[in-house]
Amino acid sequence: MKKKTYLHNPATLKIDLMLRGTRIDDPVVKAWACGSAGVDIMLPEKTLVNIPCREEFTRNSPYLIKKKGSGYLITDGASDVEVSLVEKPSFYNRRTTTGVPFSNIASVHGSYTVITPSPRCDFFNRSVECKYCAGNFDVTGREGVVYSVEEVLEAVEAVLKEKASGIIYFSIGFSDNDDGGLGFLKPYILAVKKSFNCLVAVEALPPKKNHWIDETYALGADSILYNLEIFDRELFEIICPGRATLIGQKRYFEALEHAAKVFPNGTVASHLIVGLEPPGSTCMGVDYLSGIGVVPILPIYRPSANRALRIEPLDTEIILPVYKHLYKSIKKNKINVNWVRDISMVTTPVELKSIVSGEKQKSIVDGFYNSRLGKKTAWGLATLRRKLRVIDRDDDSE
Amino acid sequence: MSIEIDTRPIWVILLLKALRPAFYLAVVLIFWGLIAMPTPEGLSIEGQRAIAIFAVCLILWVSNIVPLAITSIFAIVLVPVLGVLPKKETYALFGNEAVFFILGAFILAGAVMHSGISNRLALNIMKRFGGSPRTLLISVFLLSAFLSFFMSEHAVAAMLFPIVLEIAKGLGLKPGKSNYGKLLFFALAWGCVIGGVATFLGGARVPLAVGMLKETTGDTIGFLDYSVAVFPLVVILLAAGYLILTRFFPIDIEGVGSARAVLERRIKGLGKLSVIEYATGTVLVFTIIGWITLGEGFGLATVALTSVVVLFVFKLVKWKDIEEYVNWGIILMYGGAIVLGAALDKSGAAAWLVKSSVGNWAGSPWMAFALFSFLSILLTAAMSNAAVIAVLLPVSLGLASKLSMDPAVLTYAIAVPAGLDFMFPMGTPAIAIAASSNYINVKESAKGGFIMFITAWVVFNLVAAWWWPLIGMGYSR
Repeated sequence: MKKKTYLHNPATLKIDLMLRGTRIDDPVVKAWACGSAGVDIMLPEKTLVNIPCREEFTRNSPYLIKKKGSGYLITDGASDVEVSLVEKPSFYNRRTTTGVPFSNIASVHGSYTVITPSPRCDFFNRSVECKYCAGNFDVTGREGVVYSVEEVLEAVEAVLKEKASGIIYFSIGFSDNDDGGLGFLKPYILAVKKSFNCLVAVEALPPKKNHWIDETYALGADSILYNLEIFDRELFEIICPGRATLIGQKRYFEALEHAAKVFPNGTVASHLIVGLEPPGSTCMGVDYLSGIGVVPILPIYRPSANRALRIEPLDTEIILPVYKHLYKSIKKNKINVNWVRDISMVTTPVELKSIVSGEKQKSIVDGFYNSRLGKKTAWGLATLRRKLRVIDRDDDSE
Repeated sequence: MSIEIDTRPIWVILLLKALRPAFYLAVVLIFWGLIAMPTPEGLSIEGQRAIAIFAVCLILWVSNIVPLAITSIFAIVLVPVLGVLPKKETYALFGNEAVFFILGAFILAGAVMHSGISNRLALNIMKRFGGSPRTLLISVFLLSAFLSFFMSEHAVAAMLFPIVLEIAKGLGLKPGKSNYGKLLFFALAWGCVIGGVATFLGGARVPLAVGMLKETTGDTIGFLDYSVAVFPLVVILLAAGYLILTRFFPIDIEGVGSARAVLERRIKGLGKLSVIEYATGTVLVFTIIGWITLGEGFGLATVALTSVVVLFVFKLVKWKDIEEYVNWGIILMYGGAIVLGAALDKSGAAAWLVKSSVGNWAGSPWMAFALFSFLSILLTAAMSNAAVIAVLLPVSLGLASKLSMDPAVLTYAIAVPAGLDFMFPMGTPAIAIAASSNYINVKESAKGGFIMFITAWVVFNLVAAWWWPLIGMGYSR
C-alpha cells in the first residue's frame, strides 16, 4: 500500500506533525528547540506549528527537518516541503529590572503570548491533578515564584515592542476560590489594559457564580477559556478527577454558555484534547460546545514516558474527520473564527478551511486581520463593545 | 463593583445610547423655545426664564437622566446667569436653615448608627416582643416605624435589613414562596415608609418643604406641630398596613423559636452597652427635646448643629465615621430646589403658572388640597420624593395666596404624601432594599402598595378635614 503523504496541504501536515513529531538532524535546529516544548516552524501558507521533538514517540517519526541551502525543509522520506524556522523573540534573552528572564514570564505561541503569573495549581496539592498534566503552561502544585504586576508589565512591554504577538494570554491553575482565579489575575489584567492597547485572553477555571464571568469581561478580558479537555463524562472523571469533583462538568457547561452570551462571538473557547477519548466522543463535544456558541479548540495529546494515556491507534486518518467536523460545526453555528488563529500549539478553524473546501487558507480578510490596522481595529471594536455592554451599577445616577 | 452585562443586540444598545444625546438635544430645544418665545401676558421676562429653568429641571428630575443633585446645581447656575435672581442672592439661598438642618440630621443619624445603639435597641425590642409569629411581625413593623421617627427611613431599612434577612433564613423561609417571609420584608419596608412621615427626621423632604415655605412666605412649621398634625395618619396607616398585609399574605408558620436564637446570638455579639452608646443616645434624646422646646426660637438647624458639636467635643464620633452617612447629593439637591423655588416665586412665575394651569381646576381650598396631595402621592411612586417637592411646592405656594389658603397647609399636602410610596422600588429606597431580599417582588409590591396608596391618600385628606380643625389648623388663614 502506498504511503500517504500530507506534505502538500499545510493544515493536514500540521496535524500530522503535531501527532507524530519530528526528528532533527541539524545542530542549529536542535539548539533552537533545546529547552522548549517543541520547535516552532512556519509551514507554507503561513501555517504556524509547534512540532514535538523531544518526546519518546518522535523517534519513530517519518519527518525530518533538514537544512537546504540557506533554508530548511521537512521531508517524510518520499518528498519534502520548504519551511522556515520561527525565530525566537529577542526579548527572551533579556531580563526584567528585578533580574527575572523574560522567557520565564512570557512564552510566545504565534499570535498569543502566554503568561502564567503563578505556577500554583491546587489540583496537585490535593493529588487530583489531571492525569495528562505535568505542568501545562508551567502550572504545578508548589507555591513557586509569583511574578509581580510590575514584572509582568515589563514582559508585556517587551512582547508588544517587539511585535512578537498582539494578544496577552493569562493562564492560572486551580485555586479553591469562588472566583475561579479571577481575583488573583485581576491586578494583572487591569494593569495590562491600563498600560497597553492590546487584547487580553484569560484561561481559568469556571467560577462558582456567573457574575465572576461578567466581571472578567468588565475588567478587560477580550477572550475567555474554560478548558473542558474531555467531553466523555466517565473519562472526564477518570482523567480529570479534580475538575470532575471540585468543579463538575455541568458547571463547565453552564459557565461556558454564560460566557458565550457575555463575550463577543468567537472569543469563548474550550479545549477538547484529541487522543484522550474516542474521536466520536470528541465530535459530540465539538457539537455541544459550538451549539452553545463556544469555539472548540482541539489540541493533540502529546504522550510522554510516564503519561501514556493515549487512545490507540491514533493517526491522522482517524483524527482528520474530527477536525473536518469541527470546521463544519463552527460554520453551521455561525461562530466567528477570526479570534482563534495563528496559534502554533493547535490547529485553528481558519487553517481547516483548506482541508474541508480545498480553498486557500489566507484571504484578503485574513491579511487585514493580521495587519497593524486590523489589530488596532480589533482592539478598538473590543473596547467599544465593552464600553457599550458593561453597566456599572455603582455608577448609577442616584 | 456591581457589574451587569447588557446582552441585548449591539444595535439596540447603540440605538438606546443615541437616545441620550437626542434627549439632551430635545431638552436644549425646549429650553431655547421657552426662552425665545414671546413673553405671555402677565408674566415678566425673569418669570419666563424662571419657567424655562423649571421646565428643564422638571424634565431632568423626572427622567433622572443625571443625578438629582446635578440638576439642582444646574438650576443654581442658570438662575443668576439668566438674570432671574442676582448671583449673591442665589448663592445665599443655599445657606437656608433647612439645608443645615438636614446636614445636622444626617450627622446625628450617622453617629447613632455608628455607636450601635440603634442596632441594640432593634434587636432587644424584637427579642422582647417577638415571641410568636404574629408578635414578631408586629415588632418588625412597629420597630421600623418607630426608628424612622428619629432617623432617615432609608437608614432604618438598611440597618434592619440584615437582621430581618437573618431571621427569615433562620426560620427556613423560602424566598419568593413563604408568606411569612413576604410579611417580614413588607413590614420592614412599609413600617419605614409610614414611620418616615411622622417627624421631620424620617426623611429630609419635610425640612426641605419647610425651608421652601419659609423662603417663599416667611412662614414655618414647628417640629412638634408637624408631628401632632400627622400623628393620626401614622396610627391609622400602621393599622391599615397590618390588616392589608396579613389579609394578602396569611401567616403560614407555627413558631419562631429559631428566630429568637438568631436574635440572641446577635445580641450576645454586641457585648455590653458601651459608654459611647449611652452618651450618643443621651445626646439624641436631648436633641429631640431641644427641637420641641427650642426649635421655634433658635431654629431646628441650630439645635441639630449644636448636638453635632457636642458629639465631636466629647469624641463620641469621628469625622471619618460620619462621612459615609452624610448624603451630600441630597444636600446639594435640596439647596438647588430652594433656589429654584425662590426664583419662581420672586419672579412671579409661580403665581402666573398657577393662574394659567391648576388654578382653573382647584377652585376651592379643599379641592386644591386634594389635588396637590393626589399629585404628590402619585408622582412619588415614580420619582424621588425630594424631586416631587421641588416640582410641586413652588406652584402650590403660588396658589395659596390666590385661594387665601394657609401656605403651610399646602406644604403638608405635598410634603407628607411625597413620603408615602408603597408601590415601587424606584420611589423609595426602603421598598428597594426590601425587594432586594428576593422574598418579595415588584408585582406583589405594586399590588399591595396600590391599596395602601389609595388608603393613604383618603386617610390623609380625612385627617386634614377632621383632625386638623381640632388642633387649630385649617385650609384657610
